[in-house]
Amino acid sequence: MSEMSTRQDLLKGSAAVRKEMPFRTYFKLNWVLYLMLVPGLLNLLLFKYLPMYGIVVAFQNYTPKGGFLGSQWVGLKHFQAFFRDPYCGRVIANTFILGIESLIISFPAPILLALLLNELRYPRFKKVVQTISYMPYFLSVVIVVGMMRELFSMTDGPINALREMIGLERQNYFMMPSAFRPLYIGSGIWQGIGYSSIIYLAAIAGINPEIYESSVLDGANRAQQMWYITLPCILPTISILFIMAVGGLLGNDYQKILLMYSPRTYSTADVVNTYVYRYGIETAGNNLSYSSAVGLLLNVVSLVFLVVANFVTGKLSETSLF
Amino acid sequence: MNQVRKKVTPFDAFLVALMVVLSCIFIYPLLNMLALSFSNSQDLKSLPVYLWPIGFSLESYKALLSDNRILLYYWNTIQYAAVGTVIMLLCTSLMAYPLSIRALRGRRTISILLTITMFFGGGLIPYYVTIMRLKLIDTFWVMVLPGAISAYNVIVFKTFFMSIPEALSESAFLDGAGHFRVLFQIVLPLSKAVLATFALFSIVGYWNDYMTALLYLRDDSKYPIQLLMRRLLVLMDYKDATTAQLLKDYRQISSRTTKAAATIITVVPILCIYPFMQKHFAKGVLVGSVKA
Repeated sequence: MSEMSTRQDLLKGSAAVRKEMPFRTYFKLNWVLYLMLVPGLLNLLLFKYLPMYGIVVAFQNYTPKGGFLGSQWVGLKHFQAFFRDPYCGRVIANTFILGIESLIISFPAPILLALLLNELRYPRFKKVVQTISYMPYFLSVVIVVGMMRELFSMTDGPINALREMIGLERQNYFMMPSAFRPLYIGSGIWQGIGYSSIIYLAAIAGINPEIYESSVLDGANRAQQMWYITLPCILPTISILFIMAVGGLLGNDYQKILLMYSPRTYSTADVVNTYVYRYGIETAGNNLSYSSAVGLLLNVVSLVFLVVANFVTGKLSETSLF
Repeated sequence: MNQVRKKVTPFDAFLVALMVVLSCIFIYPLLNMLALSFSNSQDLKSLPVYLWPIGFSLESYKALLSDNRILLYYWNTIQYAAVGTVIMLLCTSLMAYPLSIRALRGRRTISILLTITMFFGGGLIPYYVTIMRLKLIDTFWVMVLPGAISAYNVIVFKTFFMSIPEALSESAFLDGAGHFRVLFQIVLPLSKAVLATFALFSIVGYWNDYMTALLYLRDDSKYPIQLLMRRLLVLMDYKDATTAQLLKDYRQISSRTTKAAATIITVVPILCIYPFMQKHFAKGVLVGSVKA
């Protein structure tokens, strides 16, 4: 082995050389690579792993003075307190109902849109429709809720004006508990359907055209092609996204809910994450430990959901996330 | 077969009609805001605006754009987006490059440490407490540092770096180049498309984020534009001194047209950027989904 190629192998950390070499020599030659990792690892440590360690506050009476290590240890006290809280049942029910309703209604929507867009025959028209369809995805949640509030405004919004025109009563949608879920889910679909459909369209584009050609010879029509070719071919993509959606089911979009809800609509809109926010942050940090405990419960259940969805989907369609 | 394909069936006509209707639904709320923002508050009163302004006036835009506070919030947002995006691209590239080298010792451990963060995190409150303990509350850095590394970004970058032919970096090594030069002069110039896509996504993310600022910023003069929008559009909280002052200042004009104009001003930069992203993001989304 010439000296030059040895150096090259060392720089690349080549497998042939590394087995014979003690780590110290290896490190001496490749320390630059580890130096490059430092900012990223530091970031992971401070902003990902330190907060994971911070979960200990859920088992303490955290005080800023005591910190993570010096605060009084109270075990499961906060978890018990949550289950005794009169709002516990409501908050858990809301979280599940909103999450499951969203999943059932919002998950198939982009698949349907992608299938329909795929059937569209005019490529330029299709492109224009697509560009318009993912525009809402890039708007901020503040803007989306702001626009909703204007459109659905009791006194001067177009929707209530139209209702009055056809003889219906004006409704104050943002004060109605029964309107919260439709507004939340509807705006979610409006915002996400176009963007989410991209991934399915990309999967459809990857299907071998010969399959369609031979199906035409067998006399398949477009509906049959959609059902028997397109859908099964994109099933792996659907499975992966489904697993991730189930994992995020209980997280809800609390940033949006915080902008949409008010004490009048808590009965349907208050979910675990908004409850955690209200108790942990809005009360000026007096219940940090209590709300960490509630948040931790949610995180653990979400993780279980992810693992179970992964397992079930893996059994049914032979596709899984990990 | 071609002839069959060319015949326009009722289904095709129905599809086109459906897509036109859907497009209108996607675009209408913004058109409504646009019309409202140009309306004249004297004529407007409490009338609903549909597609066309009632009266015509630029008063809301004049009021907003001559307000120094709003320009400050705009400027703050630009700073967060620019600095945050540069830090993100730098940290992500620096982390992805060593991980793209198969023979790196410890590569597996680091990949696992990274992947865990995709599925489990501390949660809102432990994270909040961590930021407090790091003394980052109300600093510029809380806006730009925590988002610098995301496992998803690193994985996509790493996958892309690995697709670059090794011969290119090998010849550079033979010429005596080190890893830093290979990364910055060979790998990154070849990754311009990925860098551009993630830069745009990051900029849009910073532009649209209100939660970080709401949680960790106290000083009004550091606020990004979305927090102002939250005050104007959603809160209407008269107990809050700044909001009350804002609304009082704009009372002479209508608060409705002001809100609409503020919406348009906030949204315009995004609308200018996003059509340029689509060329790349279909691919970006795909890479992520395959690897995830």
